[in-house]
Amino acid sequence: MSADFADALLATDGGCPPGLTTWNGSAPEKRFAVYRNNVVVGLIDALADSFPVTQALVGEEFFRAMAREFVRAEPPRSPVLALYGDGFGDFIDRFAPVAALPYLADLARLEYLRILAFHAADASPLTQEALGGVLADEAALPLARFALHPSLFVLASAHAVVSLWAAHQAESDARQLAGLDTTRAESALVCRRELAVEAFRIAPGAACFIAALTRDASLGAAVEQALARDADFDLAATLALLLRAGAIVGITTPRRTQA
Amino acid sequence: MNQTVSAASLALAFGAAMSIAAAPVSAASHGGAMKAETEKCYGVAMKGKNDCKAGAGTSCAGTSKMDHQGNAWSMVPKGTCEKTMSKTSSTGKGQLMEFKEKKA
Repeated sequence: MSADFADALLATDGGCPPGLTTWNGSAPEKRFAVYRNNVVVGLIDALADSFPVTQALVGEEFFRAMAREFVRAEPPRSPVLALYGDGFGDFIDRFAPVAALPYLADLARLEYLRILAFHAADASPLTQEALGGVLADEAALPLARFALHPSLFVLASAHAVVSLWAAHQAESDARQLAGLDTTRAESALVCRRELAVEAFRIAPGAACFIAALTRDASLGAAVEQALARDADFDLAATLALLLRAGAIVGITTPRRTQA
Repeated sequence: MNQTVSAASLALAFGAAMSIAAAPVSAASHGGAMKAETEKCYGVAMKGKNDCKAGAGTSCAGTSKMDHQGNAWSMVPKGTCEKTMSKTSSTGKGQLMEFKEKKA
């Protein structure tokens, strides 16, 4: 019964699940159609709230039509509406009408990571003293493993997604968009510091390095992977960015743990 | 193991990173980061234009009911909040904390 009801909510044929009755004898199909419309429009509104830049790039009318297709294909699996849209980026990749906008899927992924970051758990950055303690044991550094903030995500894109996103923020102006080469590859570091979610544009080597750390690679191994990806990888600048973002919340070396 | 990265070079970079991170933020030392410094500013948003970035269903963005509502905020470039006009604010400018509107 509940599966029939859920299927009928997203059906396009206007049908009504079997067994529905109305208290005043009006047609159940009509009443159900009102409910169906509210459900679908509510989910489209949710996607519009969560993906404002994606919507700005294709226009409201197109976005809502695309979102309607997504709602039918991938209805929410959780009652938490704030996290609806997990698969929206992948859906956009397969959505033929936007094939001319190859950056759109990654832009939606970036917007979704910002929401995940907003709702991620809190964690305190390592103190200067703790960092000093790690640094004091130089020989153990290559095997050090980093615990990064739960709100930290890396997105490597073949398109200029961070610049595109930034150009659509309130503090930006149209000039940023005018000269933008969308085919320039960019990677994003998303991280929340207290209540503010930030998105940084990072070099490909830095993205590779941070992604390796999140997979629990040792510092030495992560640096080697990053250098293999990008000979210009700048370790000091990347670590400084992580420190500034408050993203390093623990470091474990074979001899000690700082957290 | 291909020892391309020595412990000494890691320590050097780590130490450099700590001093870069401890230095005041300037455009040059920001390590390629592009996020402008911003601050939360109360009382400067026009009706329905306040920011909120918590995703769908939690949405409080665009819900303020009046111009320059004292508990509605916008992200603005750092340092500009207390220079922005707010006709409901006792100081006549935006404030960094929520405030109770005075009669405009």
